[in-house]
Amino acid sequence: MKKGKVKEIIVYCAFILLAFIFLMPIIWIVFCSFKGSSELFKWPPTILPKNFTLVNYVTAFEKGNFGLFFYNSAYVSIISTVITVLINTMAGFALAKYKFKGANFLLVAFIATLMIPLEVIMIPIFSVVKNLGLYNNIWGLIIPPAATPTGLFIMRQYLLSVPDDLMEAARIDGATEWHIFWKLIIPIAKPAMAVLAIFSFMWRWNDFLWPLIVISDPKKYTIQLAISNFMGQFNVDWNSLLAMSVVAMIPVLIIFLIFQKQFVQGMVTSGMKD
Amino acid sequence: MALRKTTSLKKENMKRGLVPYLFILPNFIIFLIFVVIPAIYGLVYSFTNYDGLSEMEFIGLKNYISIFKDAEFWSVLGKTSLYAAIVVPLIFVFSLMIANYLIKEIRFKGIIRAIFYWPTMVSFIIVGFTWKWMLGDNFGIVNYFLNLSGHASVKWLTTGFAASIAVIVATLWCRIGFYMIIFIGGLQSIPTSYYEAAHIDGATKWQVFASITLPLLKPTSLMVIILSVIDAFKSYPLILALTGGGPAKSTTYLVQYIYQFGFERYEIGYASAMSVILFVLLGTFTAIQFKINRGGEI
Amino acid sequence: MIKKLKILTSVVLATMMLGSTMTGCAQNKKEETAVKKTASLDFVWFTDGIEGDVMKKIVADYSAKNTNVKVNLIEVAYKDLNTKLRTMIAGGEPPALARVTEPGTFYNNALNLNEYLGSTDTFSSQFIDSIKPYYVKDDKVLAAPMDVTANGLIYNKTLFKKAGVEVPTSADKAWTWDQMFDISKQLVEKGGAKYGMVSDVTPHRFSTLLYEFGGSLFNADASKAVINDANGVKALDMFVKLHKEKVMPESVWLGGENPNTLFRTGTIGMHLSGNWMLSNYKDIKDFEWGVTYLPKGTMSSSVPGSKFVMGFKGTKVEKETAEFIKYLTSKEVNSKYCTDSLFMSPRKDSSELDYSYGKEMFKIFAEELKNTTPKAANDWSRTDLMPKITIDYKNGIMEALSGKVTSKQALDKIAAVADKAIADKK
Repeated sequence: MKKGKVKEIIVYCAFILLAFIFLMPIIWIVFCSFKGSSELFKWPPTILPKNFTLVNYVTAFEKGNFGLFFYNSAYVSIISTVITVLINTMAGFALAKYKFKGANFLLVAFIATLMIPLEVIMIPIFSVVKNLGLYNNIWGLIIPPAATPTGLFIMRQYLLSVPDDLMEAARIDGATEWHIFWKLIIPIAKPAMAVLAIFSFMWRWNDFLWPLIVISDPKKYTIQLAISNFMGQFNVDWNSLLAMSVVAMIPVLIIFLIFQKQFVQGMVTSGMKD
Repeated sequence: MALRKTTSLKKENMKRGLVPYLFILPNFIIFLIFVVIPAIYGLVYSFTNYDGLSEMEFIGLKNYISIFKDAEFWSVLGKTSLYAAIVVPLIFVFSLMIANYLIKEIRFKGIIRAIFYWPTMVSFIIVGFTWKWMLGDNFGIVNYFLNLSGHASVKWLTTGFAASIAVIVATLWCRIGFYMIIFIGGLQSIPTSYYEAAHIDGATKWQVFASITLPLLKPTSLMVIILSVIDAFKSYPLILALTGGGPAKSTTYLVQYIYQFGFERYEIGYASAMSVILFVLLGTFTAIQFKINRGGEI
Repeated sequence: MIKKLKILTSVVLATMMLGSTMTGCAQNKKEETAVKKTASLDFVWFTDGIEGDVMKKIVADYSAKNTNVKVNLIEVAYKDLNTKLRTMIAGGEPPALARVTEPGTFYNNALNLNEYLGSTDTFSSQFIDSIKPYYVKDDKVLAAPMDVTANGLIYNKTLFKKAGVEVPTSADKAWTWDQMFDISKQLVEKGGAKYGMVSDVTPHRFSTLLYEFGGSLFNADASKAVINDANGVKALDMFVKLHKEKVMPESVWLGGENPNTLFRTGTIGMHLSGNWMLSNYKDIKDFEWGVTYLPKGTMSSSVPGSKFVMGFKGTKVEKETAEFIKYLTSKEVNSKYCTDSLFMSPRKDSSELDYSYGKEMFKIFAEELKNTTPKAANDWSRTDLMPKITIDYKNGIMEALSGKVTSKQALDKIAAVADKAIADKK
């Protein structure tokens, strides 16, 4: 018994060490954001800021309209995530649990679209966006990315494990397909929906190329566009860039911590027992 | 009574017939408009010498023929494939291992999960900045400590081989958290009743893993493999931020090569043709994987 | 009940998509009617230092003085400039004007400024001759120069003092590249430097040596590439030797270490850069720094560069755009722009500006610019050819530095790419 406990502690410590190694670069970035420009480039470098200063944050906030960009990013990310989770759960459910003509073809076709790098179809996509009136429109950032093939794939694979008997039982009881979806599938799918929510929020929050193409009005810039402007042709304003990047990381982290609580074991089992 | 049952069953089946299509409709519309149509344009471009600004001329298969003759294209494709072949298994193993651990009852597991996941959220510019600071030849932290302890500096980013290793390590750091989350979701969908039964039968940890966890994890495993292969082949912003494709092009992979032709040399036709080839390659891989694994159905 | 929910959800989704489309169209319509009353000029801009803020003030001034025109500054990062402009132009939504470094690439879409600003000769006579080929093509004015740059040598005064090395006080006393090896040794051994010099990673900076050894990329009428002649090989050999003998660190050209951050650590003697770095290094307090004359090869030379504003066709506000460009390039506005941004003016009548900082340094840059061989502008102004060559140009230099190929082989490769670009143009 004691031997097992010791082994457990060793494994735990190994994981903590690994986690620490993972975290080190990020901690260093946070420390750097609190260093003034002369300390940032000192050699040999300092780890902890010797002259702790908030000047980077103040300058960056003053230079740009960061409150506005934050709001734009949040608006886009939240609404797009809601839409994403809804439509991909629906589509994933259909592709997982219904045997209909073209189901497999559609699935592979959707996934196939992942293989087309955005950089390559930038120009035709811009024409499409413009012709739909979505150019310079914040909905252009919200709707097109919502049909994410990765999200679809995740929901479909997860919902494969829903037992067919569950659905048959409900059908015999007279439930319509919609009823099955809302009352039966959605509760089971909660962990996967949480995963998708986390990912979707992060993807929309970190989107760069797409807003670059779609948005031209500086008032509609998202935070990634604004951060990118700290990079000049030869000079990079590392101080402001670091400060703003640190701030930009916080909402994504918060969303993660909130939704990861949904990762609970055995939701499917509990469905079975009902 | 029997007749009514048959007709209502028929009606049910018909209704059910339409329903799946309705569920897919929103996704499908968006794909059609924003992905399929531009992709068709891209396909058309591949048969022209379009440069983005002037009138395009139809040149048939000329682009494709040039690509097949282009030694550099094949070299870049080879490098990308090697990179993918190394990175994908490593990501699979590590993220599964970490996920498997982080679903147990562990102190602070929420925070530890967040730590592994955090690198996936960081923008590539910052990743490049950090890793360059760590691995810089003369002004890098790793070499600084190596020197302090009496060792010679390693030219991490200046030699081709070391740079390729650096790129692989940075990729792992950046992507493991993402796949860890997917595995956590997959692992937790396996009903505990199976594990309870195995425990009663006295199975060892490894037996449980091999005969219960892995098989029931098939849908998730398939997805992780397909997604990470596509990810690896599409690698561009991270590597660009880290090595710029260097030193001397040794870490220039496919999408960067395509991007250079499309947006720096303005040969959009040529770039589109390369993308079509990439698409066909990855599409074939995905389709085969799907067929073999029956879509991940258990 | 559930059926209703289903219908409701699909209706909501459809309405959202429709609504977004309609608001999009409505917005565009609103802007169109607004255009008739106030012309809205989209000005795509990239900034490198403080000139962004300077331009914002100029734009605000102009909009206040001309109430029928509104200028929207759309800031993008330099690396995204091409992507943004290309997608906008190819997608049918060209901006009114943009700040560019290579006007020639947009030759087909450029607003013909001759219509509004007078004949080519009248217009270009206001600006220094060496940059004329950049913005005048086929006797048409494609763009208007905003500032001119010159490559130069920035050095660490404190380090040089410690090492006991004196810098040349006039152009004729400039060092030669051969002397660099000894100077670098002194800086390292007596001054405590890690390296003698760093150079930016761009063929533009390398070409300083190319021109100083009498070489060039193209021949006079750009009908053939000549970079692989004996002079070119001499220049690249020297560049490679500087790296091999640790005057310059390999990690910059081959490993991506940033020369700016390296210079800022105070352990580098010199930075082969240009006058645009002055506003960036202004805040360095840890050591003193200054500007001195570039080392010479068989002759002295710098490399010019320039930034321009150009208008685009098909924006419906061409007239207002041209007027704004005229305003920007006028003596008064341009001088203020350059003085405040710490740039050099391209105007012939503004060669001595009243800088608030670094006046002596600008004098040296101006001298360097004057002593530049016309071959430099002849090469770099070929903006219809250069974009197709720069990647291979840079990679060729890197391959020579890594020792994979000899200088001649690397230059032969670059010449082949250049010749292909010339052939494709026809």
